Amino acid sequence: MPVLKTGVVQVMARGTDVAFVIDEKAPFDLVASELRDYLAKQNGLWSKGDITVNVGQRLLARQELAQVKAIIETHSGLKVTRFWCSPESLDGGDFHIEAKPSAARSSGSKRNTADKADKPPAHNEIVLPGEASNNPAQPSPAIVSFIEQLKARHNKNGARNRNLTEALFIKSTFRSGETVHHHGDVVVLADVNPGAEIRADGDIVVLGSLKGWVHAGASGDTKAVIVALELPSARFEIAKYQGIAPASTRRKSKSSSSGPRIAYVRNRSIHVAEFAGRFARYSKGVPYEG
Amino acid sequence: MKGRTIVITSGKGGVGKTTATANLGTGLAMRGHRVVVVDTDIGLRNLDVIMGLENRIVYDVVNVIEGTCKLSQALIGDKHDFELYLIPAAQTRDKNSIEPEQLRELCAELEEQFDYVLIDCPAGIEQGFKNATAAAKEAIIVTTPEVSAIRDADRVIGLLESAGLHRPRLIINRIAPEMVKRGDMMDQKDVEALLAVEVIGLVPADENTVVAANRGVPVVHNPKSSAGQAFLRIAARVDGEDIPLMDLEPKTGLISRFKDLVGIGGRTYSHA
Repeated sequence: MPVLKTGVVQVMARGTDVAFVIDEKAPFDLVASELRDYLAKQNGLWSKGDITVNVGQRLLARQELAQVKAIIETHSGLKVTRFWCSPESLDGGDFHIEAKPSAARSSGSKRNTADKADKPPAHNEIVLPGEASNNPAQPSPAIVSFIEQLKARHNKNGARNRNLTEALFIKSTFRSGETVHHHGDVVVLADVNPGAEIRADGDIVVLGSLKGWVHAGASGDTKAVIVALELPSARFEIAKYQGIAPASTRRKSKSSSSGPRIAYVRNRSIHVAEFAGRFARYSKGVPYEG
Repeated sequence: MKGRTIVITSGKGGVGKTTATANLGTGLAMRGHRVVVVDTDIGLRNLDVIMGLENRIVYDVVNVIEGTCKLSQALIGDKHDFELYLIPAAQTRDKNSIEPEQLRELCAELEEQFDYVLIDCPAGIEQGFKNATAAAKEAIIVTTPEVSAIRDADRVIGLLESAGLHRPRLIINRIAPEMVKRGDMMDQKDVEALLAVEVIGLVPADENTVVAANRGVPVVHNPKSSAGQAFLRIAARVDGEDIPLMDLEPKTGLISRFKDLVGIGGRTYSHA
């Protein structure tokens, strides 16, 4: 949920996570000055904590990353522990990527909690070691990232990363023949008609009748869910699992599809239950196994 | 004043695009407008037959576009006393004979001379569809209350919207009121809910439509027929008049006949 927004710098908060998202096209000078102004204005809003800075597709030089870090840390009580950027931009970037996870971590970032240090960063995070940012000119293996490759997307950190990708809003009826693939959550403020296809790495929420084909958690996230005000669709997917409505549901589709439904993965198959909130504890619903 | 170019399309074939074009064109001409209907179904021309102008064809739309004839030579005047003209499709060529840009130029020229330019679109979503829709600034979708026609209409609406033709309007053709009442056919509300577009007309299934097409006299010429009345009302709505949709209730049962007789609620169509 975005809480605050300025022109080029956006602050997102989700639960206890706070993220700074920086516009991908704005010139760096503007970003730096806006960020400084913004933090000065909001002085005292944050006490302290670790934050992640999402730079999107922008390729920042090391000095620039360090500058962003310095601005945030001096003007708020926050400590920048990670930078995040989209995976595509790492390939062509000027970052020298060394796959030495354990060594780099012990010598580099100073994380307070042991549990955090043990968690391997996701593939598209750039861990910024403390000394490197303080002294960016030093030619040391300063910025180390653990990119396994794009397939690392499928690891268990995938779920956390997608929180940082903004949701895609589709504001009119999604019609037959229309397709979309979004690396995040997708919200449709209308019906999804038969013959339409939506693929999302995150959740799919349809504030209407879901009659088309959708695939939530398309990059492998089994925690992804599909929520729809009506779910007459007989076929959809979550992560690698396929859901096919049982024949009985299909026959009396009108009565069984009334009311909001949630589809989720339980015991390696897709279940559908009456929607009772995103974080409700769902027991076994109707298995969609055909 | 510049004319309005409206494409009549459907995706699925055989739902009544050409019939709707002929009737809408005639209806608008009856209201005193200068109207031209352009058949873009190159290779499978029909509009001339339905309008009864087959024998008068000398030049066609491809001739005009290729410059073999002047625009005025390809305009065929209607048999009746209206300002209604037809530009027929070529029968011996195919959809790839013209480009969307060429048709756009032709329609721009026609807009200078006419109040309404109606484009009869071929079935499908290929080259012919692209040609026909490129020139239009408004669209009318024809569908029947059948799932297959509605699915295709949904696809076409999506394509039109992505091409910048927003808010197309819908004609639901061949409604059988008895079947709707029995619950065997989708009604206006069902179709509207599925397609989420404005309905501009409901046309009941009417034998007169077929008879009229065979005779080459569009059914609007027969004001007693229910389909003729429906098309007249659609023409009025296209023209900007705010008239309610027909309530296509089957007129059966003693009570309604009695009411008709004594004149209580004595209108054939109540407000929808």
